[in-house]
Amino acid sequence: MSAAATHHDQAHDHADEHGHAHVPTYLETLRANRLGLWLFCISEVFLFVALIVVRFALWGNTRPELDQALGLATTSVLLISSYFMVRAEVAIAHGDRDKFLNSLLVTFVLGVLFLVGVVGFEWGLFGITFGDHELLKPTDGAFGAVFFGMTGIHALHVVSGLFLILMVYINGRRGGYSTERHWGVEACAIYWHYVDVVWVFFYPILYLIGTPVH
Amino acid sequence: MEEKKSQAYQLIFTIFLVLAFLTLVEYLVSQYLDSMILLLLIAFLKAGLIVNYFMHVYRLWREESH
Amino acid sequence: MRQLRILFSLGIVWALIGQAAGAAAGLFLVRAIRAAANLPPSAEAELVIAAMFSVFGSLLFSGVLTDWLKWCVGIETPLRHGDPDGLPAWTRYFSVDYNHKVIGIQYGVTSIIVLLVGGILAIIFRLELSWPGEQFLTPESYNTIFSAHGIIMIASILLGVGAMVNYLVPMMIGASDMAFPRLNAFSYWIAIPSAILIMAGMVIGDGWETGWVGYPPLSTIDGSPLGTQLFILGFYFNGFSSIAGAINLLVTVMIMRAKGMSLWRMPIFVWAAIATSLIQFTATQTVGAAQLMVTTQRVLKLGFFDPTFSNGLGWPAGDPILYQHLFWFYSHPVVYVFVLPGLGIISELLPVYSRKPLFGYKWVALSSLGIALVGFLVWAHHMFTSGMADVLRIPFMLATLLVAIPTGVKFFSWVGTIWGGKVTFETPMLFVLGAISVFLIGGLTGPILGTIPTDLHLHDSYWVVGHFHATMFGGFVFPFFAAIYYWYPKITGHMYNERLGKIHFWLMTPGFWLMSLGQMQVGIWGMRRRIYDYDPALGIEFTHALITLSALIIGWSVLIMIYNLITSSRTERVAAINPWGSRSPEWQVPSPLPEFNYYRPFEVVGEPYDYGVPGSVYVRDVPAAGD
Repeated sequence: MSAAATHHDQAHDHADEHGHAHVPTYLETLRANRLGLWLFCISEVFLFVALIVVRFALWGNTRPELDQALGLATTSVLLISSYFMVRAEVAIAHGDRDKFLNSLLVTFVLGVLFLVGVVGFEWGLFGITFGDHELLKPTDGAFGAVFFGMTGIHALHVVSGLFLILMVYINGRRGGYSTERHWGVEACAIYWHYVDVVWVFFYPILYLIGTPVH
Repeated sequence: MEEKKSQAYQLIFTIFLVLAFLTLVEYLVSQYLDSMILLLLIAFLKAGLIVNYFMHVYRLWREESH
Repeated sequence: MRQLRILFSLGIVWALIGQAAGAAAGLFLVRAIRAAANLPPSAEAELVIAAMFSVFGSLLFSGVLTDWLKWCVGIETPLRHGDPDGLPAWTRYFSVDYNHKVIGIQYGVTSIIVLLVGGILAIIFRLELSWPGEQFLTPESYNTIFSAHGIIMIASILLGVGAMVNYLVPMMIGASDMAFPRLNAFSYWIAIPSAILIMAGMVIGDGWETGWVGYPPLSTIDGSPLGTQLFILGFYFNGFSSIAGAINLLVTVMIMRAKGMSLWRMPIFVWAAIATSLIQFTATQTVGAAQLMVTTQRVLKLGFFDPTFSNGLGWPAGDPILYQHLFWFYSHPVVYVFVLPGLGIISELLPVYSRKPLFGYKWVALSSLGIALVGFLVWAHHMFTSGMADVLRIPFMLATLLVAIPTGVKFFSWVGTIWGGKVTFETPMLFVLGAISVFLIGGLTGPILGTIPTDLHLHDSYWVVGHFHATMFGGFVFPFFAAIYYWYPKITGHMYNERLGKIHFWLMTPGFWLMSLGQMQVGIWGMRRRIYDYDPALGIEFTHALITLSALIIGWSVLIMIYNLITSSRTERVAAINPWGSRSPEWQVPSPLPEFNYYRPFEVVGEPYDYGVPGSVYVRDVPAAGD
């Protein structure tokens, strides 16, 4: 905790006709926000675990034949984006404003690339293909349902994460964050890493575990 | 201050390298060993590294600012 | 003119406008896209997108998102509080407001309105069941109405739980509000469009006939009514309310307790609220996943629950039983969400009216957590007849019977608290005792259903209906009414009419005993659930008529309560500061509480329930600096 932060945040309580209002300090708000965000993460764990359970219940020890190169590529892209996200956070915490903004931009671009990989190539949404594999269709029984269900829910989280990054980037350019006060950046980073953690499990579960059925 | 800063950058880059290495190991395990247990173990290890070093979960109980 | 201006300042009006506008926008968007892409029109897709847009439109127009949207573009907004400027003070109850007490009242009033809707539906199909054969409902409309009764009552209960938790917890722990006031308002304002979606499902698209459980294949099969889809989406969006509210509550309790209020010195209701929230913020996600899967199967033909798929290559197909697992993983724990706050109210009120310490405070507190925990391990007892691996049946049976242990702890604590106390019988205490008697009926009939051999016979019979209603009335309805009467002076500053309150009680309690025991009796004699007709040869006509009669009595008694609550707030009878002689902090100061609950912060210096212990103090004002 830096001395500057506490100096600004003298807790001021005031009582008037409305009663005693405790105006929380920045640190108190930060604590509540962190706790709330982590509880949200735990809550979402149940969603993703439910999907994973569905995968194991329906697929068992099999999996559809998916393009391994594409899977490894999208996974790497998301991992690198996660690195740039934490780099952005370290940068703002140490006052490297340019590095912060640039890293955020790289994170955003890599996030979009990940989406292109999954939604564009893997889903074949825009008719583009990758390699010579026949694409899985959503209507292909449990293979299609689970694959599109899991990647779809994850993609929704990626899209919302991208919105957050964009928001933080715009606010950051305006100078909305300082070395002491950047909860917005931290929240966005936690969320983005969380999306990555989910993919850390989804990647082996969708692409690697089980014997492929042709 | 400057030293602390470069240490922080170094730490996250090291963790990133470990994660990248583990991802590669994952891929190789699936190609040559096909062990579900091992794959899940690596996934949990990766997740643990991200939660600790990238998401700073310890800030919840150490009460520090950013 | 002024009336019109006031009307259009109300958030609820804008929420409804927004919902209609969102629905229209979604509808035309899908039509336009499908027309542009040369696809045939699809009522299902139109409905789904329209429903999603309608929820978003409602939130946007009501103004609950405004602060957050401003934050997104870097504008900081102060937390608005107090009465609205230039408008009558009552309007804040109909608009987005961030005060936890206002939101608590909003939850409570909405809960009672939704309760009335669900009750009217119940009375409609009870009248149908008074005689064998088809009276005035077609089989399809009977199905829609009993399904709607189920899910609407569940919505009402969740709103009622929200009311109690929101109003009481910050007050009891000495916080000036919840940790995230805007999120708190969001939790309430998203419950409105979802409740409307569910009710719209009854009218739009031929209703639905799946019961509140929505099992596939009935809910996903081609040609199943469109109302099913609206019900599923309404259910889904209501989950947002549960999750956000629960997270908010947990953070509030974790960091905003008054000075000196350690975990073991919290009012017992707060423990119940924690246990409830732990279930709500986790389990709700799995049922959300299940509803999303049903929706994608209906609209996009993803075959999660479709066992008929085959492409000749040995690819796996879906499994309808999987839905039941996901569904009950939420829906069993959620019955503890319904009853735990109610059981907390019982434990909270009994010491006050018995003038004795709560028997075994720590055990009661831990039993709430115990029920919540064990509740996660018992879901498959709803599926003993659905087919599952034999090895799972006995463990699920044993886990189910385990629930009786923490519940028994509560019962013995209640008996131990009353035992030898100086008991007085005001209306809230009567409802607490009624709750215990009714919950006892529900509790004793539970193990019979949890045991596999008896369950195989009783499954899907009216016995289950009797058991379930006894637990819901004993665990929620009676304690909720007790809480309303008990905190009514605190909320309004006026005393309710004791005579009417007692009439309410003496109509409702025997009425309910009759109804519940009657339901179990016809169940044993062969009456099945979820069907509009029965064989007169079963000899259950008379009992059915009695059940209908008691349902009517319960309905009228609730109307008496509403009349009482409305008229009493307009009388001159101002309540005393602490009419019940409670030790809880909110009763030590005049009613109603100011905007931020307390004029001076208090600190906890003793045990909460030491009634009748000489010299014992629970809370006192924090001495000001320099005193």
